[in-house]
Amino acid sequence: MTEQAVERPVAVARRPSPRRRWAADWWRHVIAIIAIVFALFPVAYVVSAAFNADQSLSSSTLIPRKVTTSNFEELFTNKREKARTTPTGESHYGRWYVNSLLVAGFTAIATVLLGALAAYAFSRFRFRGRRMGMLTLLLIQMFPQLLAIVAIYLIVLRVGDVFHFLGLNSPTALIVVYLGGAMGVNTWLMKGFFDTIPAELDESARVDGATPAQVFWGVVLPLAAPVLAVIALISFVSTINEYAIASVILQSTDKYTLPLGLFQYIDQAYGNHWGPFSAGVLMAAVPAILLFTFLQRFIVQGLTAGSVKG
Amino acid sequence: VLADRHKWVAVAVLAAATFAIDLVYLARRRTIPMKFLVPGTIFLIGFQVIPVAYTISVAFTNYSTGHILVKSEAIQGIEQNTLAQADNGKSYTMAPAHDASGKLALVLVDEDTNKTYIGTKNGLKPIPRGSVSITGGLITRAQGYELLRGQALVQSDKELSALVVPVGGNKGIQAEGLDTAVVLEPTFRYDAKRDEFVRLKDNAVYTDNGRGSFVNAKGEDLEPGWHTGVGLRNFGRIIHSDLVRKPFVRVLIWTFAYALLTVLLSFALGLFLAITLDKAGMPLQRLYRSALVIPYAIPGFLSLLVWRGLLNDQFGVVNHILPGGLDRPWLFDANWAKVSIILVSLWLTFPYFFLVSLGALQSIPKELTEAARVDGAGAWQVFRQVTLPLLLVAVAPLMIASFAFNFNNFNNIYLLTGGGPAAGESVAGATDILITYTFKLAFSAGKGADYGLASAVAILIFFIVASISAFGFARSKALENLA
Repeated sequence: MTEQAVERPVAVARRPSPRRRWAADWWRHVIAIIAIVFALFPVAYVVSAAFNADQSLSSSTLIPRKVTTSNFEELFTNKREKARTTPTGESHYGRWYVNSLLVAGFTAIATVLLGALAAYAFSRFRFRGRRMGMLTLLLIQMFPQLLAIVAIYLIVLRVGDVFHFLGLNSPTALIVVYLGGAMGVNTWLMKGFFDTIPAELDESARVDGATPAQVFWGVVLPLAAPVLAVIALISFVSTINEYAIASVILQSTDKYTLPLGLFQYIDQAYGNHWGPFSAGVLMAAVPAILLFTFLQRFIVQGLTAGSVKG
Repeated sequence: VLADRHKWVAVAVLAAATFAIDLVYLARRRTIPMKFLVPGTIFLIGFQVIPVAYTISVAFTNYSTGHILVKSEAIQGIEQNTLAQADNGKSYTMAPAHDASGKLALVLVDEDTNKTYIGTKNGLKPIPRGSVSITGGLITRAQGYELLRGQALVQSDKELSALVVPVGGNKGIQAEGLDTAVVLEPTFRYDAKRDEFVRLKDNAVYTDNGRGSFVNAKGEDLEPGWHTGVGLRNFGRIIHSDLVRKPFVRVLIWTFAYALLTVLLSFALGLFLAITLDKAGMPLQRLYRSALVIPYAIPGFLSLLVWRGLLNDQFGVVNHILPGGLDRPWLFDANWAKVSIILVSLWLTFPYFFLVSLGALQSIPKELTEAARVDGAGAWQVFRQVTLPLLLVAVAPLMIASFAFNFNNFNNIYLLTGGGPAAGESVAGATDILITYTFKLAFSAGKGADYGLASAVAILIFFIVASISAFGFARSKALENLA
């Protein structure tokens, strides 16, 4: 291994034939393949189980003996009959999927809007308390919302006495709670990006008679679209993943988001539901993987800028 | 009463907020930046600032199961709970009914005097004997009232058991079963002036113990209690009470071990793979890279639930493919559950460090490493003394951020093992980290909720994470200066 590494600059200089490159680097390929097996074997099992006619976990083989789509169908048929005999493990998969998309979608869009509005003010105006405001934002955000979960629960419980749509078991309440964390890091990221948009652009718009609001919607937002998209995606994914707060606020099965629903679906009976469960995982994961692949370049840049994923 | 009070508070808050917003949006010029800041700030204050403040205030109270009410409600509750049927108490033939406006009332027939009454929460009202028919000891009709039967009776069961008809002298009539009612007499007397309860039987005095309960000299308390400030008691419990301290310390140590191991192992594996694949012109490089990043692209909760299935000791694929004798209770043995958690966290996190290490490696100028080689350094020396220090400048802050993140990584623990397997009396299981411990203290079913202690633990977590982050900031600045 040491010899190979020392040889490296020379090898690059000489541009050896492909066959020699394979020969010299075989160990790199071996390590890569071992790592890929580790990384992908759960994925392989999920894909295979999703299409496997055998529903139980123990009898599943990697290559399905009989390929079927019945697992997918089972997720979407609301079997009252079966639910009566086995009270747990009833699937509202379609509902959960839609709930998750709605909650995460609204949260992501509103997060971007609220963050961008604040970032625009911090980036373009000079006003009293601007520095203080930004520092306060950073400080407040050091206390993660998750830590205040007890207080959030008690507050939502009380607020629900007066405004039912913001009470327990309401997806609206969940979105509103998530938006408490909308400013903060996002505002800092966006402010940094807005600062790189030349102020001359706004000024010329202002000279042409645009109001600050028009400058914001017409000039700054379109120019910042790529960054906004990435922040929206990151917010979307972290909202989709959120379990704790959602589990405290949402209480009936039909209001659940995907993490709550799938957790409950599988909790009692891994053995029996493994096939449909895998199908559900697959349907939830594929859009995420596609989006990630499309936006990979941006996301990786954003990651190295300091945000962390769950 | 409670709801009414909340409503007034809500109206006041709404009015004040509307006024402030109008001020910002209708006033011209000077408030332009405010217009852009207000929307986000409303949510920030409502669901970030207020919860944080509330968390802090709850941490200094005994808010928990049995201490949910405020004091005045608790006193009412005790007065009602301590009513009891007197030894020679009177009983009535009773039938629950709805009056014309649909309100619950009791149709009562005094068994001694054969007089008839309607009892509501406002008191007892005599009605003509003729308007009530009784057959076989049961009331079958009451003029002007609709007797509850079947489904309607089941639905008002809760309301019925809570209805006490006051009859003066602190006595009350309450339904006992579905066709009789008895006169209840207070067994305790509340002395408002001295703020204490006195048991009538033996004049035993129950005083406010300052911690949300009325207790007598023997330390017996009256239910329910109320929530009240208890100062630093919750924090004191973490230090002094064996019942709290032992699980807390165990959880604290495991939290650090878990976060540290996850970051270090993931970084080591990610860096190792990055170095392996960082070779100019290596065939299939892009394919390998994309494949290795897939665990990172899947939403974490899905991967965690899948792993939970794969590691299941009975049905799990992992035990299925491992050769005989190597199968383990991956999630149901304290130590193996810890191994599983680290393994799965590694699986989830290494692609991140693989990506950032790859980026960082490629940004290190090749001239530097080549110069070191020319000077006679071996490959390991070059790595230790040139590559690694330069790499750490970029990656160390991310490692600290990742540590802080994993320190509070609720999902990785809760979705994989649920904090279990159970360990001893406490709600804290063998793999619980501080944040899941907090969650269980507040919301785990069965053992009762302790919001006060949960909030106190949350505040401690905040201080730990904040000092790590502060250390991170200072440290990364120092590294930047070095570079």
